[in-house]
Amino acid sequence: MATTPSNATTTAPVTASSETGMLVHITTVSPETIEPALSNLALAFPGIPLTVAIPDTAPNLSAGHSFDKLRLLPYTPAAVSSANWILTAADYFNTYKLAQEHNASACLMLGADSHTMQPESLQRLAAATLSTGNDLVVAHYHPGPRESLLNSAIFYPMSRSLFCARPRFPLAIDLGVSLRMAERLATTAQRYTAAGQDDALLWPVAEATVANFTIAETDIPVRSSPTPVTPDLNVLLSQIAGSLFSDIDSKASYWQRIRHTVPKRTITAATDASEPLDITAILQSFKLAYSNLQEIWALVLPPHSLLGLKRLSVMPQEAFRMPDSLWARIVYDFVLAYRLRTINRNHLMGALAPLYLAWVASHLTLVHSGIPAEQHIEELAQAFETDKPYLVSRWRWPDRFNP
Amino acid sequence: MWQQVELALSQSAHRALVTLANFLPGLLALVLAVTILTVVGIFLAAVLRRLLTALRFDERLAQGSIIPLEWAPSHSPTLLVTRAAFWGSVVLGCLIGISAFDAAYAGNSQVSFFLFPYLTHSVGAILLFMVGTLIARFLARTVLIEAVNARLSYARILSLGVKWLVLVLTAAMVLDHLEIGGTVVDLAFGILFGGIVLTLALAVGLGSRDMVSRSLEKNTDAEIAAGDPLARPASVSETLRHF
Repeated sequence: MATTPSNATTTAPVTASSETGMLVHITTVSPETIEPALSNLALAFPGIPLTVAIPDTAPNLSAGHSFDKLRLLPYTPAAVSSANWILTAADYFNTYKLAQEHNASACLMLGADSHTMQPESLQRLAAATLSTGNDLVVAHYHPGPRESLLNSAIFYPMSRSLFCARPRFPLAIDLGVSLRMAERLATTAQRYTAAGQDDALLWPVAEATVANFTIAETDIPVRSSPTPVTPDLNVLLSQIAGSLFSDIDSKASYWQRIRHTVPKRTITAATDASEPLDITAILQSFKLAYSNLQEIWALVLPPHSLLGLKRLSVMPQEAFRMPDSLWARIVYDFVLAYRLRTINRNHLMGALAPLYLAWVASHLTLVHSGIPAEQHIEELAQAFETDKPYLVSRWRWPDRFNP
Repeated sequence: MWQQVELALSQSAHRALVTLANFLPGLLALVLAVTILTVVGIFLAAVLRRLLTALRFDERLAQGSIIPLEWAPSHSPTLLVTRAAFWGSVVLGCLIGISAFDAAYAGNSQVSFFLFPYLTHSVGAILLFMVGTLIARFLARTVLIEAVNARLSYARILSLGVKWLVLVLTAAMVLDHLEIGGTVVDLAFGILFGGIVLTLALAVGLGSRDMVSRSLEKNTDAEIAAGDPLARPASVSETLRHF
């Protein structure tokens, strides 16, 4: 429960009399969670005959449940994804197909473990989706200071600085989409599903921004996030950050033109310094990487960043602090190296992992010292925005501009 | 007797000069073929580059493709086509040159018998060497990054060991391909390869002694902690959630 987002949407609730035209797509079901998920939906929308699509892999449900009023729609997925902890190309493709077949005007996509959301959260998400003018409604979760770190370190600052997009969770697993947004996502997803890449990740916020669609955020204060199939950091970095870098590459002509920035968020949270802190292992890992990976980093990073890393490697644990500008520059240089294929892309993401862990150590030290985590992330996002001209320059003239 | 020595010397010199005279045209033909086809390749590549740039080949390929293709600026489709054209010409030049070199001798010529296999094998050996070096570099980097991320303190030794293993293997294959050294190469390779593996095993074994003992201690602690949940607090890295 870190913050209350200042820009969350407030819309009229979905009532029993509403002719919703909305389709709810529960993208991932398991025998244990299907009933709680449906009961939660029934609790959120009492008396409303909501159409709920569930894959036909779900177990057969007997009558006499609290969710009997829901119109269940078992379907055979056109594309099947093996990743059940995140929304993939297959999910977006299936959602649009279902929406088309059942003449839905909007869709609610709920990721794994959606039963852990409060009914009020589901109501808010649905209301924001149905309200006129919203093409994409993104969930705003409230993770603790040690959660969702990749999102805080890379995804949010990059999404905000490059695409000028406000959502705090650009890769949220609970979304509300209008029909045209669903169509756009399905079109992009089809490129991957046609190539057999059903598990490919899409970046809905970037897609919506490029299409000039309206984006809104909805507060989801409580939700347990599903665990990735492989919790290994290197795999996660390769899979998710690699996908983001690739998406940035494909949308370069768009984000290079954007000049304005997102207004600063108001952070109202208290500090999160209650948990004990021991970052020794993380720092040892960074120092080991510094003594071994310098020659690889030197292929990617300019001398100025290497000097910054040298300073970090000799910093005492209590005062360990990676400047936001240094982290922003590191990420930008890795994006460039990803684009230019300076080194093998798997090697590149592997070389980023220790640097990311150094950022995590620095972030946790700051939070422990009393600075609210969200405030630091806001400052980091601003540092990314400030340094965007550097990325644009190097993107256009990679060889000419290398300070 | 002196006359016989003189005769033997003059005959030998004559034979050597005749062999050289026979050898030179073949060599000249080889060099000429490679040079001419390289020049043709450069010209062809330049023409193709201009043509494809004018036709906006890269953009058309990106737009018309169903599968999302990822091309880096340094590996654009245009560059790939032009490079393929250039190297195709060079390889064609080599093939023509080698054929001309072969045709310059009679089938039973001793020079042809010894030199021609070396010439053809050396092309394969160069390719083997290049591929081996690339694989060695790639594997060394992969091992280094993976080992660092796995927090192995002997990451660099492991990476160097893998690199030299592959390089030694490549060198042995190249020499074997060129039929140089015979059994000496096999023997030397066996000794070197075994030596590197033994060195790595010792380095890793001795270096990881502490790690193994720490790991055992950790397991013992975990067993104790299973009985008493408050026995050992989870470290920061264990409580982090990256996604």
